[in-house]
Amino acid sequence: MGSGLNRILAVAANTYRETVRERVLYNLVLFAVLMTVSGLLMKQLSIRQDERIIKDLGLAAMEMFGTLIAVFMGVGLVSKEIERRSLYPLLAKPLDRSEFILGRFAGLGFTLLVNVAVMTAGLYLTLAATHAVFDPNLLKAVYTMFLGLLLVVALALLFSALSSSMLAAVGTVILVVAGHFSDIIRNVKQVAPSTPDWLSQGFYYVLPNFRNFDLKSRVVHFDPVPGSDLGWITLYAAAYLAVVLGIALTVFRSRDLV
Amino acid sequence: MSTPAAAGPALETSGLSKSYPTGMLHRGRRSALEELTLSVPRGEVFGYLGPNGAGKTTTLKLLLGLLRADRGSARVLGVPHTDRAWRYRAGYLPENPYLYDYLTPQEYLDYAGRLFGMPASERQERSRQVLQRVGLLESARVPMRRFSKGMLQRAGLAQALLNDPELVFLDEPMSGLDPIGRHMIKEVILDLRSRGRTVFFSTHILSDAESLCDRVGLLRAGRLVTIGRLDEILRIDVSHLEVLVSGVDAGVLDRRPGLKGRRALGERWSLEVEEKSLGPVVMAVQQAGGRILSVQPVRESLEDYFVRQMGAQAGGRPWEAA
Repeated sequence: MGSGLNRILAVAANTYRETVRERVLYNLVLFAVLMTVSGLLMKQLSIRQDERIIKDLGLAAMEMFGTLIAVFMGVGLVSKEIERRSLYPLLAKPLDRSEFILGRFAGLGFTLLVNVAVMTAGLYLTLAATHAVFDPNLLKAVYTMFLGLLLVVALALLFSALSSSMLAAVGTVILVVAGHFSDIIRNVKQVAPSTPDWLSQGFYYVLPNFRNFDLKSRVVHFDPVPGSDLGWITLYAAAYLAVVLGIALTVFRSRDLV
Repeated sequence: MSTPAAAGPALETSGLSKSYPTGMLHRGRRSALEELTLSVPRGEVFGYLGPNGAGKTTTLKLLLGLLRADRGSARVLGVPHTDRAWRYRAGYLPENPYLYDYLTPQEYLDYAGRLFGMPASERQERSRQVLQRVGLLESARVPMRRFSKGMLQRAGLAQALLNDPELVFLDEPMSGLDPIGRHMIKEVILDLRSRGRTVFFSTHILSDAESLCDRVGLLRAGRLVTIGRLDEILRIDVSHLEVLVSGVDAGVLDRRPGLKGRRALGERWSLEVEEKSLGPVVMAVQQAGGRILSVQPVRESLEDYFVRQMGAQAGGRPWEAA
């Protein structure tokens, strides 16, 4: 009899294969073109300036491509399986619903890891071509960005386990956008004085704060990023992931697959 | 894999019930299955019959844990249906299966085998065996997005047989298949029975059930109307005779006692005649200058029984769904 971990890995491996066969990783070609073009253009500028622009551009592109994949693949992770009924023969086998959810999360997470890793290598190559000094701090920004992407996948998965692909996409996009502007929500009282404190503060703390994962400007401007910051960000991501995945598991386990 | 144990039924349900919420606010309930109580012994081919919407797929989904029952219980292969242990020993073919079209059958079976915890060598060997069994060995490495409906059904059957199951659930296995595909599925079912496996299959194609099943259960509007052996259910007496005649004006035969009906077949007539009235009808045909081409006794078919049962239950609307 197989263990739960083996079944989770089987689902994850198939999810990764699905993303590869659905040509999700083709976005790497776009990224490569972007990096090549920016590398060629930036040679015209001064040394430190071109390095900053390439880093900024590279990290922003990584985040954008990663978020698009996380949202649009993530929202179909469960709902598409139910809509197509491809899930039925799998759940008739010794596969628990929670194993399926965790496998889908791990599979798309691995796709994003491959995507981010290849893009990071591409970014370093571009920087090397412009004679920039190797900057290990860049990896810190990539790491926290990857944690943020995992959180986007978890949120998409939660919505996907609850509703149709379309509704899941709408819900996830709203949460991700709101999470990038959580400071505005916290200070909403300044533009709408009648908003109760408990409401703005409640939203601020409940919504995922994606700004926590954004170290782009710090590494681009060579500001130090202490290990303790990375520790806190990791802890925040782990706690949020545990809660979101926990809710997704609970919801999906009790759902009728009509 | 394991062989079937001798004791206990393969499947038994007791008062299994399910309803679905209706309306925008889910305030109403629509009953899909009511108090289903049945038992299927091991080694039996059981046909689960009913018109579309009768609750057949709902029953299968309840047993497989895809839906939660409102009330009642079920045991599969000796354990509660909610226990995952029996799934190592069972297979399931859904209706119109969608198997990831970006995979080949070989890849899909390898994936399914990993879910059963099979080692790589066993996955490879069993995949080859079942693909050969369903006639897909030559297409083992072709992506399933290129498959016809019949080929997908075969691939679906292959994954249902991968673990050499003791119990196989087949949901409308013949739907959409050409005669060769239907023949293949019938052979697989008969082979499973000859090896002591249990087959629970739902269908609304009654000729399939009649040719394959040891017993059938008839479902209508979520209720089990009848369950039993075919020879117990169907009337074995001749219900009437079908007499094929030619060269006679059927109007001559009208109002003849014992003639239940007639229909034109080109120049010929097919007469529905009561068994005891055959002699007078034959004489009347001959006296009118006609010829008797054939006389066939007609027994009740499963379809006749089905229509009779459904019609009686629905007050003359045999296909009324829940």
